Amino acid sequence: MADKPKVAICWLGGCGGCDEAVVDINEVLLRVANATDLVLWPVALDFKYDHIEAMSDGEIVLSIINGNVRNSDQEEIAKLLRKKSQLVLAFGACACFGGTPGLANFTTKEDIFNWVYRDAPTVVNPEGKYPQPKSRVNGKELTLPKFYEHVFALNQVINVDYYLPGCPPPPYLVMNAVSAVLEGKLPPKGSTLSPRRALCDTCPRNKTKPSRIALRDIKRIHEVEADPDSCFLAQGILCLGAATRGGCGESCISINIPCRGCFGPVDGVVDSGAKFLSALASIIDAEDDEEMKKVIDKIDDPAGYCYRFSLPVSLLRGKRS
Amino acid sequence: MSSYEPKLVCFSCKFGWGYLNTEEALAKQIKNWVPIICSGKVDSSHILTAFRQGADGVLILGCRGGDCHYQDGNYEAKKRVYLLHKVLESYGIESERLRIELSIDPEGNKIPQLVKEMSDRIAKLGPVKKVGEPAKAVAVV
Repeated sequence: MADKPKVAICWLGGCGGCDEAVVDINEVLLRVANATDLVLWPVALDFKYDHIEAMSDGEIVLSIINGNVRNSDQEEIAKLLRKKSQLVLAFGACACFGGTPGLANFTTKEDIFNWVYRDAPTVVNPEGKYPQPKSRVNGKELTLPKFYEHVFALNQVINVDYYLPGCPPPPYLVMNAVSAVLEGKLPPKGSTLSPRRALCDTCPRNKTKPSRIALRDIKRIHEVEADPDSCFLAQGILCLGAATRGGCGESCISINIPCRGCFGPVDGVVDSGAKFLSALASIIDAEDDEEMKKVIDKIDDPAGYCYRFSLPVSLLRGKRS
Repeated sequence: MSSYEPKLVCFSCKFGWGYLNTEEALAKQIKNWVPIICSGKVDSSHILTAFRQGADGVLILGCRGGDCHYQDGNYEAKKRVYLLHKVLESYGIESERLRIELSIDPEGNKIPQLVKEMSDRIAKLGPVKKVGEPAKAVAVV
Protein backbone atom coordinates (compact mmCIF):
# COMPACT_ATOMS: atom_id res chain seq x y z
CA MET A 1 0.00 0.00 0.00
CA ALA A 2 2.72 2.40 0.97
CA ASP A 3 4.18 2.98 -2.48
CA LYS A 4 0.87 3.31 -4.30
CA PRO A 5 -0.11 6.90 -5.09
CA LYS A 6 -2.57 8.24 -2.54
CA VAL A 7 -5.82 9.63 -3.95
CA ALA A 8 -8.63 11.47 -2.16
CA ILE A 9 -12.13 12.04 -3.52
CA CYS A 10 -14.25 14.55 -1.69
CA TRP A 11 -17.69 16.12 -1.87
CA LEU A 12 -18.29 19.73 -0.89
CA GLY A 13 -21.39 21.75 -1.92
CA GLY A 14 -22.85 19.46 -4.56
CA CYS A 15 -25.62 16.95 -5.11
CA GLY A 16 -23.57 13.75 -5.05
CA GLY A 17 -23.98 13.22 -8.78
CA CYS A 18 -20.25 13.73 -9.27
CA ASP A 19 -19.45 10.91 -6.86
CA GLU A 20 -21.92 8.86 -8.86
CA ALA A 21 -19.99 9.78 -12.00
CA VAL A 22 -16.84 8.30 -10.45
CA VAL A 23 -18.73 5.05 -9.86
CA ASP A 24 -19.95 5.23 -13.48
CA ILE A 25 -16.49 4.33 -14.73
CA ASN A 26 -17.60 0.82 -13.70
CA GLU A 27 -14.94 -1.90 -13.58
CA VAL A 28 -12.24 0.64 -14.39
CA LEU A 29 -12.81 1.83 -10.84
CA LEU A 30 -11.49 -1.52 -9.60
CA ARG A 31 -8.30 -0.98 -11.58
CA VAL A 32 -8.02 2.52 -10.12
CA ALA A 33 -8.57 1.11 -6.63
CA ASN A 34 -5.82 -1.42 -7.32
CA ALA A 35 -3.36 1.10 -8.66
CA THR A 36 -3.97 3.71 -5.96
CA ASP A 37 -4.42 4.01 -2.25
CA LEU A 38 -7.78 5.72 -1.70
CA VAL A 39 -7.30 7.71 1.47
CA LEU A 40 -10.61 9.55 1.51
CA TRP A 41 -13.96 9.10 -0.19
CA PRO A 42 -16.70 10.00 2.29
CA VAL A 43 -19.59 8.97 0.06
CA ALA A 44 -18.28 5.43 -0.45
CA LEU A 45 -15.77 4.53 2.26
CA ASP A 46 -15.32 5.27 5.93
CA PHE A 47 -12.26 7.41 6.48
CA LYS A 48 -11.70 10.10 9.07
CA TYR A 49 -10.50 13.63 8.46
CA ASP A 50 -8.10 13.09 11.38
CA HIS A 51 -6.21 10.63 9.19
CA ILE A 52 -5.80 13.27 6.51
CA GLU A 53 -4.68 15.86 9.06
CA ALA A 54 -2.02 13.45 10.33
CA MET A 55 -0.49 13.12 6.85
CA SER A 56 2.50 15.12 5.76
CA ASP A 57 1.97 17.98 3.30
CA GLY A 58 1.80 16.83 -0.31
CA GLU A 59 1.48 13.17 0.70
CA ILE A 60 -1.69 12.78 -1.37
CA VAL A 61 -0.87 12.68 -5.08
CA LEU A 62 -4.31 13.75 -6.27
CA SER A 63 -7.40 15.16 -4.61
CA ILE A 64 -10.53 15.02 -6.73
CA ILE A 65 -12.88 17.61 -5.26
CA ASN A 66 -16.46 18.09 -6.39
CA GLY A 67 -18.98 20.67 -5.24
CA ASN A 68 -18.67 24.36 -4.47
CA VAL A 69 -17.87 26.18 -1.24
CA ARG A 70 -20.72 27.85 0.62
CA ASN A 71 -19.86 27.27 4.26
CA SER A 72 -16.92 27.16 6.64
CA ASP A 73 -16.91 23.37 6.80
CA GLN A 74 -16.47 23.08 3.03
CA GLU A 75 -13.75 25.73 3.13
CA GLU A 76 -11.88 23.88 5.86
CA ILE A 77 -11.93 20.56 4.00
CA ALA A 78 -10.91 22.21 0.72
CA LYS A 79 -7.93 23.86 2.42
CA LEU A 80 -6.95 20.69 4.25
CA LEU A 81 -6.92 18.70 1.02
CA ARG A 82 -5.02 21.44 -0.78
CA LYS A 83 -2.33 21.35 1.88
CA LYS A 84 -1.96 17.60 1.79
CA SER A 85 -2.15 17.18 -2.00
CA GLN A 86 0.29 17.57 -4.86
CA LEU A 87 -2.54 18.03 -7.34
CA VAL A 88 -6.12 19.22 -6.96
CA LEU A 89 -8.67 18.44 -9.65
CA ALA A 90 -11.88 20.52 -9.60
CA PHE A 91 -14.38 17.89 -10.59
CA GLY A 92 -17.74 18.84 -12.09
CA ALA A 93 -19.52 22.11 -12.80
CA CYS A 94 -20.00 23.07 -9.12
CA ALA A 95 -16.30 22.85 -8.30
CA CYS A 96 -15.25 24.44 -11.60
CA PHE A 97 -17.80 27.29 -11.81
CA GLY A 98 -20.11 27.13 -8.78
CA GLY A 99 -22.70 25.04 -10.65
CA THR A 100 -26.46 25.19 -10.36
CA PRO A 101 -26.30 25.93 -6.60
CA GLY A 102 -24.28 28.99 -7.64
CA LEU A 103 -27.53 30.52 -8.91
CA ALA A 104 -28.10 31.30 -5.24
CA ASN A 105 -25.76 34.24 -5.86
CA PHE A 106 -28.73 35.99 -7.51
CA THR A 107 -30.28 35.97 -4.02
CA THR A 108 -28.89 37.23 -0.76
CA LYS A 109 -28.08 35.08 2.23
CA GLU A 110 -30.67 37.07 4.15
CA ASP A 111 -33.40 36.33 1.60
CA ILE A 112 -32.48 32.64 1.63
CA PHE A 113 -32.68 32.46 5.43
CA ASN A 114 -35.93 34.43 5.55
CA TRP A 115 -37.56 32.13 3.03
CA VAL A 116 -36.27 28.86 4.47
CA TYR A 117 -36.82 29.69 8.16
CA ARG A 118 -39.68 32.20 8.09
CA ASP A 119 -41.66 32.79 4.90
CA ALA A 120 -42.03 29.43 3.12
CA PRO A 121 -45.64 28.23 3.51
CA THR A 122 -44.54 25.00 5.19
CA VAL A 123 -42.52 26.75 7.91
CA VAL A 124 -43.83 27.09 11.48
CA ASN A 125 -41.34 29.17 13.43
CA PRO A 126 -43.26 31.40 15.89
CA GLU A 127 -40.13 32.24 17.89
CA GLY A 128 -38.32 33.34 14.73
CA LYS A 129 -35.34 31.08 15.37
CA TYR A 130 -32.59 31.02 12.80
CA PRO A 131 -29.69 28.57 12.85
CA GLN A 132 -26.58 30.03 14.48
CA PRO A 133 -22.95 28.92 14.13
CA LYS A 134 -22.94 28.51 17.93
CA SER A 135 -25.83 27.74 20.28
CA ARG A 136 -26.21 26.35 23.79
CA VAL A 137 -28.48 23.38 24.45
CA ASN A 138 -28.70 21.86 27.94
CA GLY A 139 -25.53 23.64 28.98
CA LYS A 140 -23.57 22.31 26.01
CA GLU A 141 -22.33 24.33 23.08
CA LEU A 142 -23.41 23.12 19.65
CA THR A 143 -21.75 24.36 16.50
CA LEU A 144 -22.79 24.54 12.87
CA PRO A 145 -20.67 25.55 9.88
CA LYS A 146 -20.92 29.26 9.07
CA PHE A 147 -23.10 29.92 6.02
CA TYR A 148 -21.28 32.38 3.73
CA GLU A 149 -22.81 35.31 1.87
CA HIS A 150 -22.06 33.71 -1.49
CA VAL A 151 -21.37 30.46 -3.26
CA PHE A 152 -17.74 30.15 -4.36
CA ALA A 153 -16.15 28.03 -7.05
CA LEU A 154 -13.26 25.92 -5.75
CA ASN A 155 -10.57 28.14 -7.31
CA GLN A 156 -11.96 31.14 -5.43
CA VAL A 157 -10.98 29.36 -2.21
CA ILE A 158 -7.88 27.29 -3.01
CA ASN A 159 -5.49 26.96 -5.91
CA VAL A 160 -6.75 24.41 -8.41
CA ASP A 161 -4.41 22.52 -10.76
CA TYR A 162 -6.86 20.96 -13.22
CA TYR A 163 -10.51 21.29 -14.16
CA LEU A 164 -12.93 18.65 -15.32
CA PRO A 165 -16.32 20.27 -15.96
CA GLY A 166 -19.74 18.72 -16.50
CA CYS A 167 -22.87 18.02 -14.55
CA PRO A 168 -21.56 15.44 -14.01
CA PRO A 169 -18.38 14.82 -16.03
CA PRO A 170 -18.87 11.88 -18.44
CA PRO A 171 -17.12 8.57 -17.63
CA TYR A 172 -14.67 8.70 -20.56
CA LEU A 173 -13.28 12.06 -19.41
CA VAL A 174 -13.05 10.81 -15.82
CA MET A 175 -11.04 7.82 -17.04
CA ASN A 176 -8.82 10.02 -19.24
CA ALA A 177 -8.14 12.32 -16.29
CA VAL A 178 -7.31 9.52 -13.86
CA SER A 179 -5.05 7.74 -16.38
CA ALA A 180 -3.28 11.01 -17.21
CA VAL A 181 -2.41 11.45 -13.53
CA LEU A 182 -1.36 7.83 -13.02
CA GLU A 183 0.75 7.82 -16.18
CA GLY A 184 2.15 11.30 -15.56
CA LYS A 185 0.85 12.57 -18.93
CA LEU A 186 -0.83 15.73 -17.72
CA PRO A 187 -1.16 18.93 -19.76
CA PRO A 188 0.12 22.24 -18.30
CA LYS A 189 -1.37 23.20 -14.92
CA GLY A 190 -4.55 25.22 -15.12
CA SER A 191 -5.83 23.15 -18.06
CA THR A 192 -9.35 21.91 -18.45
CA LEU A 193 -9.24 18.18 -19.14
CA SER A 194 -11.80 18.31 -21.92
CA PRO A 195 -11.81 19.22 -25.63
CA ARG A 196 -11.23 22.90 -26.33
CA ARG A 197 -13.90 23.54 -28.94
CA ALA A 198 -17.48 24.64 -28.47
CA LEU A 199 -20.25 22.06 -28.39
CA CYS A 200 -21.71 23.36 -31.70
CA ASP A 201 -18.54 22.15 -33.43
CA THR A 202 -19.32 18.52 -32.68
CA CYS A 203 -23.10 18.72 -32.47
CA PRO A 204 -24.73 16.25 -34.86
CA ARG A 205 -27.43 18.86 -35.55
CA ASN A 206 -24.92 21.46 -36.71
CA LYS A 207 -25.44 20.69 -40.39
CA THR A 208 -29.11 21.66 -40.10
CA LYS A 209 -28.23 25.15 -38.88
CA PRO A 210 -29.12 27.78 -41.50
CA SER A 211 -26.37 30.26 -42.42
CA ARG A 212 -28.32 33.00 -40.69
CA ILE A 213 -30.71 32.32 -37.83
CA ALA A 214 -33.48 34.90 -37.40
CA LEU A 215 -35.84 34.33 -34.49
CA ARG A 216 -39.18 36.03 -34.16
CA ASP A 217 -40.27 33.84 -31.29
CA ILE A 218 -38.46 32.09 -28.44
CA LYS A 219 -39.90 28.86 -27.13
CA ARG A 220 -39.10 26.80 -24.09
CA ILE A 221 -38.36 23.14 -24.57
CA HIS A 222 -41.44 21.94 -22.70
CA GLU A 223 -43.76 24.14 -24.75
CA VAL A 224 -43.05 22.47 -28.06
CA GLU A 225 -42.35 19.11 -29.57
CA ALA A 226 -38.81 19.80 -30.70
CA ASP A 227 -37.62 18.24 -33.93
CA PRO A 228 -35.05 15.63 -32.82
CA ASP A 229 -32.63 16.30 -35.68
CA SER A 230 -32.62 20.07 -36.21
CA CYS A 231 -30.56 22.78 -34.55
CA PHE A 232 -32.39 23.93 -31.42
CA LEU A 233 -31.57 27.59 -31.96
CA ALA A 234 -32.98 27.44 -35.47
CA GLN A 235 -36.19 26.11 -33.89
CA GLY A 236 -36.31 29.08 -31.52
CA ILE A 237 -35.28 27.01 -28.50
CA LEU A 238 -32.41 28.43 -26.45
CA CYS A 239 -29.41 26.09 -26.59
CA LEU A 240 -26.13 27.20 -25.04
CA GLY A 241 -23.95 24.97 -27.26
CA ALA A 242 -22.52 27.95 -29.13
CA ALA A 243 -20.87 29.32 -25.99
CA THR A 244 -20.18 26.08 -24.12
CA ARG A 245 -17.14 23.82 -24.18
CA GLY A 246 -17.73 20.47 -25.84
CA GLY A 247 -16.67 17.07 -24.56
CA CYS A 248 -19.90 16.10 -22.83
CA GLY A 249 -20.66 13.53 -25.51
CA GLU A 250 -23.80 15.49 -26.49
CA SER A 251 -25.71 13.61 -23.83
CA CYS A 252 -28.48 16.25 -23.58
CA ILE A 253 -28.68 16.91 -27.32
CA SER A 254 -29.09 13.18 -28.02
CA ILE A 255 -32.18 12.99 -25.82
CA ASN A 256 -33.64 16.10 -27.47
CA ILE A 257 -32.76 18.52 -24.67
CA PRO A 258 -30.85 21.71 -25.52
CA CYS A 259 -27.44 22.46 -23.99
CA ARG A 260 -27.62 24.23 -20.63
CA GLY A 261 -23.93 25.04 -20.44
CA CYS A 262 -22.58 22.67 -17.77
CA PHE A 263 -19.14 22.47 -19.43
CA GLY A 264 -18.59 26.18 -18.97
CA PRO A 265 -16.69 28.52 -21.28
CA VAL A 266 -14.29 27.48 -24.04
CA ASP A 267 -10.58 28.29 -23.61
CA GLY A 268 -9.91 32.01 -23.57
CA VAL A 269 -13.41 33.03 -22.50
CA VAL A 270 -14.09 34.17 -18.94
CA ASP A 271 -17.84 34.68 -19.02
CA SER A 272 -19.67 32.20 -21.24
CA GLY A 273 -23.03 33.75 -20.28
CA ALA A 274 -22.01 37.10 -21.74
CA LYS A 275 -20.87 35.42 -24.94
CA PHE A 276 -24.17 33.64 -25.28
CA LEU A 277 -26.13 36.83 -24.56
CA SER A 278 -24.33 38.55 -27.44
CA ALA A 279 -25.01 35.63 -29.76
CA LEU A 280 -28.62 35.46 -28.68
CA ALA A 281 -29.26 39.17 -29.22
CA SER A 282 -27.82 38.92 -32.72
CA ILE A 283 -30.16 36.13 -33.85
CA ILE A 284 -33.28 37.93 -32.70
CA ASP A 285 -35.08 39.31 -35.68
CA ALA A 286 -37.69 42.06 -35.50
CA GLU A 287 -39.11 44.80 -37.70
CA ASP A 288 -39.11 47.46 -35.01
CA ASP A 289 -38.28 48.15 -31.36
CA GLU A 290 -41.67 47.05 -30.14
CA GLU A 291 -41.39 43.67 -31.81
CA MET A 292 -37.80 43.26 -30.60
CA LYS A 293 -38.91 43.91 -27.03
CA LYS A 294 -41.77 41.46 -27.41
CA VAL A 295 -39.41 38.67 -28.50
CA ILE A 296 -36.86 39.40 -25.73
CA ASP A 297 -39.54 39.81 -23.05
CA LYS A 298 -40.61 36.26 -23.76
CA ILE A 299 -37.27 34.91 -22.54
CA ASP A 300 -37.94 33.80 -19.02
CA ASP A 301 -35.09 34.77 -16.67
CA PRO A 302 -32.32 35.31 -19.25
CA ALA A 303 -29.67 35.78 -16.54
CA GLY A 304 -30.56 32.50 -14.85
CA TYR A 305 -30.64 30.76 -18.21
CA CYS A 306 -27.24 31.97 -19.37
CA TYR A 307 -25.50 31.54 -16.01
CA ARG A 308 -27.16 28.31 -14.94
CA PHE A 309 -23.82 26.71 -14.05
CA SER A 310 -21.40 29.59 -13.97
CA LEU A 311 -22.75 32.53 -11.98
CA PRO A 312 -20.08 32.59 -9.20
CA VAL A 313 -17.28 32.83 -11.80
CA SER A 314 -19.15 35.26 -14.08
CA LEU A 315 -17.79 38.79 -14.51
CA LEU A 316 -20.34 40.25 -12.11
CA ARG A 317 -20.41 37.23 -9.75
CA GLY A 318 -23.76 37.78 -8.06
CA LYS A 319 -26.42 40.12 -6.83
CA ARG A 320 -25.59 43.46 -5.26
CA SER A 321 -27.52 44.03 -2.09
CA MET B 1 -23.11 62.19 -1.42
CA SER B 2 -23.01 65.67 -3.05
CA SER B 3 -19.36 65.29 -4.06
CA TYR B 4 -19.97 61.91 -5.65
CA GLU B 5 -19.11 61.79 -9.33
CA PRO B 6 -20.25 58.62 -11.09
CA LYS B 7 -17.71 56.72 -13.15
CA LEU B 8 -19.09 56.44 -16.66
CA VAL B 9 -17.71 54.51 -19.61
CA CYS B 10 -18.72 55.81 -23.02
CA PHE B 11 -18.34 53.81 -26.23
CA SER B 12 -19.04 55.78 -29.39
CA CYS B 13 -19.03 54.77 -33.04
CA LYS B 14 -16.42 56.63 -35.09
CA PHE B 15 -18.68 56.65 -38.14
CA GLY B 16 -21.37 58.77 -36.52
CA TRP B 17 -19.79 60.54 -33.59
CA GLY B 18 -16.99 63.11 -33.62
CA TYR B 19 -15.36 62.18 -36.93
CA LEU B 20 -14.81 65.84 -37.82
CA ASN B 21 -13.02 66.43 -34.54
CA THR B 22 -9.75 64.95 -33.30
CA GLU B 23 -9.84 62.13 -30.80
CA GLU B 24 -7.26 63.97 -28.69
CA ALA B 25 -9.50 67.03 -28.38
CA LEU B 26 -12.54 64.95 -27.43
CA ALA B 27 -10.64 62.65 -25.09
CA LYS B 28 -9.72 65.69 -22.99
CA GLN B 29 -13.41 66.34 -22.39
CA ILE B 30 -14.64 62.78 -21.86
CA LYS B 31 -13.31 60.46 -19.20
CA ASN B 32 -13.24 56.73 -19.96
CA TRP B 33 -14.13 57.30 -23.59
CA VAL B 34 -13.71 54.41 -26.01
CA PRO B 35 -14.16 55.41 -29.66
CA ILE B 36 -14.87 52.28 -31.68
CA ILE B 37 -15.71 51.27 -35.19
CA CYS B 38 -19.42 50.34 -34.99
CA SER B 39 -21.48 50.14 -31.82
CA GLY B 40 -22.27 46.55 -32.83
CA LYS B 41 -18.67 45.77 -31.88
CA VAL B 42 -19.45 46.37 -28.21
CA ASP B 43 -19.82 42.85 -26.87
CA SER B 44 -21.82 42.00 -23.75
CA SER B 45 -18.55 41.06 -22.08
CA HIS B 46 -17.15 44.57 -22.70
CA ILE B 47 -20.17 46.08 -20.96
CA LEU B 48 -20.08 43.61 -18.06
CA THR B 49 -16.32 44.08 -17.73
CA ALA B 50 -16.84 47.84 -17.38
CA PHE B 51 -19.22 47.21 -14.47
CA ARG B 52 -16.86 44.59 -13.05
CA GLN B 53 -14.07 47.17 -13.07
CA GLY B 54 -16.13 49.69 -11.18
CA ALA B 55 -18.17 51.63 -13.73
CA ASP B 56 -21.39 53.13 -12.41
CA GLY B 57 -22.82 53.43 -15.90
CA VAL B 58 -22.16 52.59 -19.54
CA LEU B 59 -23.26 54.79 -22.44
CA ILE B 60 -23.14 53.50 -26.01
CA LEU B 61 -23.45 55.95 -28.88
CA GLY B 62 -24.29 54.36 -32.22
CA CYS B 63 -25.34 55.64 -35.62
CA ARG B 64 -28.90 56.60 -36.48
CA GLY B 65 -31.28 53.81 -37.45
CA GLY B 66 -30.61 52.86 -41.07
CA ASP B 67 -27.25 54.70 -41.15
CA CYS B 68 -24.94 51.89 -39.99
CA HIS B 69 -21.85 51.53 -42.17
CA TYR B 70 -22.14 47.78 -41.65
CA GLN B 71 -25.87 47.66 -42.32
CA ASP B 72 -27.25 46.90 -38.86
CA GLY B 73 -24.50 46.99 -36.22
CA ASN B 74 -26.32 49.75 -34.34
CA TYR B 75 -29.46 47.64 -34.25
CA GLU B 76 -27.46 44.65 -33.01
CA ALA B 77 -26.16 46.82 -30.18
CA LYS B 78 -29.67 47.98 -29.34
CA LYS B 79 -30.97 44.42 -29.02
CA ARG B 80 -27.97 43.50 -26.88
CA VAL B 81 -28.58 46.46 -24.57
CA TYR B 82 -32.26 45.60 -24.15
CA LEU B 83 -31.38 42.00 -23.29
CA LEU B 84 -28.59 43.11 -20.93
CA HIS B 85 -30.98 45.39 -19.04
CA LYS B 86 -32.77 42.28 -17.85
CA VAL B 87 -29.54 40.52 -16.96
CA LEU B 88 -28.16 43.53 -15.06
CA GLU B 89 -31.33 43.73 -13.00
CA SER B 90 -30.81 40.14 -11.88
CA TYR B 91 -27.41 41.29 -10.60
CA GLY B 92 -29.09 44.14 -8.74
CA ILE B 93 -27.75 46.75 -11.19
CA GLU B 94 -30.43 49.23 -12.31
CA SER B 95 -31.14 49.17 -16.06
CA GLU B 96 -30.74 53.00 -16.21
CA ARG B 97 -27.02 52.41 -15.79
CA LEU B 98 -26.76 51.06 -19.32
CA ARG B 99 -27.97 53.30 -22.11
CA ILE B 100 -27.74 53.37 -25.88
CA GLU B 101 -28.36 56.40 -28.05
CA LEU B 102 -28.58 56.12 -31.83
CA SER B 103 -27.96 59.47 -33.49
CA ILE B 104 -25.33 61.43 -35.41
CA ASP B 105 -22.94 64.13 -34.26
CA PRO B 106 -20.01 64.72 -36.64
CA GLU B 107 -18.33 67.31 -34.38
CA GLY B 108 -18.79 65.12 -31.30
CA ASN B 109 -19.83 68.11 -29.19
CA LYS B 110 -22.87 66.28 -27.92
CA ILE B 111 -20.79 63.44 -26.47
CA PRO B 112 -19.59 65.28 -23.33
CA GLN B 113 -23.10 66.68 -22.93
CA LEU B 114 -24.74 63.21 -23.11
CA VAL B 115 -22.15 61.83 -20.70
CA LYS B 116 -22.90 64.69 -18.31
CA GLU B 117 -26.67 64.15 -18.56
CA MET B 118 -26.33 60.43 -17.88
CA SER B 119 -23.86 61.10 -15.10
CA ASP B 120 -26.34 63.44 -13.43
CA ARG B 121 -29.07 60.84 -13.61
CA ILE B 122 -26.78 58.13 -12.22
CA ALA B 123 -25.57 60.40 -9.42
CA LYS B 124 -29.07 60.11 -8.01
CA LEU B 125 -28.75 56.31 -7.92
CA GLY B 126 -25.37 56.43 -6.22
CA PRO B 127 -22.51 54.01 -6.91
CA VAL B 128 -23.11 50.41 -7.99
CA LYS B 129 -23.09 48.32 -4.87
CA LYS B 130 -20.20 45.93 -4.42
CA VAL B 131 -20.62 42.20 -4.37
CA GLY B 132 -18.69 40.53 -1.56
CA GLU B 133 -15.29 39.43 -2.81
CA PRO B 134 -14.26 35.90 -1.86
CA ALA B 135 -11.29 37.26 0.06
CA LYS B 136 -13.64 38.73 2.64
CA ALA B 137 -15.21 35.45 3.55
CA VAL B 138 -12.52 33.06 2.48
CA ALA B 139 -8.77 33.55 2.35
CA VAL B 140 -7.17 32.03 -0.75
CA VAL B 141 -4.45 29.48 -0.01
